Amino acid sequence: MKKGQEKLGWLFASPYLVYSLIFFVIPLFGALFLSFTNWNLISPQYENVGFLNFIKAVKSPGVKAAFFVTYKFMIIFVPMVLIGSLVISLIINSLPRFKSFFSVGYFLPYLASGVATSVVVKGILSYNSALNVWLRNTWHLNIDWLGSQILAPLIIAVMISWKFMGYYSLILTSGLESISGEVYEAAAIDGATGWIKFFKITLPLLYPAMFTVTILAVGLVFGIFTEPYVLTGGGPGFSTNTWQIEIYNQAFSKLNAGYGSAIAIIDSVVTFVTIIIVRKLLEIWGKSYGWE
Amino acid sequence: MVGSKNKKLQLILLYTIAIIFLIIMVYPYLYMVLNSLAPWDQVDRKIIPTGITLKSYIWLLHGGEDVTPRPWLRAFANSIIVTVSSTFLMMVTALLVAYALSKIVFKGSRTINNIIMFEMFYPSIILLIPTFLLVRKLGLYDTYWGMIIPKSVSLWAIFMYTNFFKAIPNELIEAAKIDGANEIKILFKIVLPMSKSITTVIFLFLFMERWVELLWDMLVVHDQNLLTLNVMLAQMFGPYGAYPGPMYAASVILTMPILILFIIFSKNFKEGIQFVLK
Repeated sequence: MKKGQEKLGWLFASPYLVYSLIFFVIPLFGALFLSFTNWNLISPQYENVGFLNFIKAVKSPGVKAAFFVTYKFMIIFVPMVLIGSLVISLIINSLPRFKSFFSVGYFLPYLASGVATSVVVKGILSYNSALNVWLRNTWHLNIDWLGSQILAPLIIAVMISWKFMGYYSLILTSGLESISGEVYEAAAIDGATGWIKFFKITLPLLYPAMFTVTILAVGLVFGIFTEPYVLTGGGPGFSTNTWQIEIYNQAFSKLNAGYGSAIAIIDSVVTFVTIIIVRKLLEIWGKSYGWE
Repeated sequence: MVGSKNKKLQLILLYTIAIIFLIIMVYPYLYMVLNSLAPWDQVDRKIIPTGITLKSYIWLLHGGEDVTPRPWLRAFANSIIVTVSSTFLMMVTALLVAYALSKIVFKGSRTINNIIMFEMFYPSIILLIPTFLLVRKLGLYDTYWGMIIPKSVSLWAIFMYTNFFKAIPNELIEAAKIDGANEIKILFKIVLPMSKSITTVIFLFLFMERWVELLWDMLVVHDQNLLTLNVMLAQMFGPYGAYPGPMYAASVILTMPILILFIIFSKNFKEGIQFVLK
C-alpha cells in the first residue's frame, strides 16, 4: 500500500516533472550558455565572446532606455492602478444593492486582448477622431498623442490600469469585507469620520490586500509588451521601450540570440532586485501599521 | 427626517459615481462594437454612428480591391484549436499534479512543491529565446504543437488546485478507497465535482490568457494559415491602417468569445474567485 503510493505520486506528478525539465531546466542553462556567445539564430557557427554581450548591453541606449522606461511606468502605473482599484472597491463595498452587477462590470476590461484595446485607443486618438476634432475646433489643440514622448507612455499606463483596475479591486474588496463593522462603530463613538476613518482604520486594516496588489502591479510592469509592440513599437525615441520590447527586437528582429539572452538575464536580475526592494519598503509601511 | 433625506442624497451620489466608473470600464467595448458596425465615412469620426452596416465584417472576409483577403476565419479556428487544446492540457496536468501533491503521500512531494514555488517567481523572460530554439530544434516551428506543448502546464493552476484540494477532507478519499475506487476515479468522480467553482475560475483565467497570448504565438508561427486571431490582428496595424472598420470587426470577433464564456460562467466565477484571491 505504502509503496504503491510512492510510485503513484511520482506518476501523477510526472507531467509536471517532464515539462519542467524540457521547458525550464534546459532553457535556463541554454540562456546562460547563449549569453556568452555571439550566435545569430541562423548560422551554424558561433564563438564564445565572454562577457562582451553584457558589457555591450549595459552601454547600449536600448537597454538603458528599457531600464528607465520600466521605472517610469512603475511611477505612473502603480499609483494610478492602486488608487483606481481602491476607489472602485470602496464604491463596491458601500453599495447596498447591485453589488455583483457592478463588480462584474468593472471586471470586464480584464478580459480584453491588449491588441483589441490598442485598436480602440489608436482609433480614439487618430487625427480625425471625434476627440481630436473637438480639441482642435474648441481649444485649438493639435495633439500628436502617440507621437509624444511624454503622452505615449502615459497612454499605455492608462490602458494597462484600465485593464487591471477591476481585477485588483476584487482583491481589495475581499480585504474590505473582512474588516468588521464593529471597528467602525467603535471609531464612530470616538468621533472619527470621513478621511480620518479611512486613513486610521480602513487603510491599515486593508494593508495585506494592498501588499498583494502592489507586488502584482510592480511585477506586471516588467512584462509590458503587447501595447507598446502594436501601438508605438517602443517609440517615440525609446520612450516606451520596455525590457520585453528590447529583448524581442534584439533577439528576433536583429537576430542577435546571444546578445538578447544577455539582456534577458540582466532584466531578470533587475526584476528580482526591484521586487525585493519593493517588498522591503512595503514591509516597513506595514510595520508602521503594526503588521509583522 | 433630515437625516434620511441626507442619506438618500448620498446614495444617489454613490450610484452616480458607480455608474460613471462603469461607463468608463465598458466604453472601449462599446466603442469597438459601434465602430465595427458604422458606415466607413463615420468610423472613428462620430461618437454614435447614424447608420448601421455589416460592410466591415463582409470586407474582412472578402478583402477589398487593392487588399488581398486574409484568412480571418481560419485564424479564428486556429485560436479555438490552440486555446482549447492548451487549456485542456493545462487543466488535466494541474489536476493530476495537484492531486499528487495534496492527497498522495510520497517522499518527493515537498521538494516538488518547493520547485514549483521557485519556478513561479522566476522571471520567465529569460527562458524565451532558448525555448524558441528548443521548439525549433524539435521540429515544432510553424505547427499547432509549437503553440500548444510549451503552454501545456500552468504552475499557477497547479498551485491553486493544490491549495484547494488540501481543504478537502482525507476521510472522504479513504472511504472511497475502501469502496474500491482507484485514484483516477476518486480524482474525477469525487474531488473534481467538489471543486466546481474553482475549476470555473481556473478554466476562465487559463482560457483568457491563452486566447490573448501574443509574443509566443507570434514567434513560433510564421505561416499565414496557422496564425491565431490575436496575432493576425496585431500584424494588421500597418497594412490595414487605412481600413479601421475591419480592424474593429476583427477586434469584436476576438473579444466576444471571452465575454460570452465569462457571462455564461459568471455565477460559478463569483463563488470561485473568492478562493483564488486569498
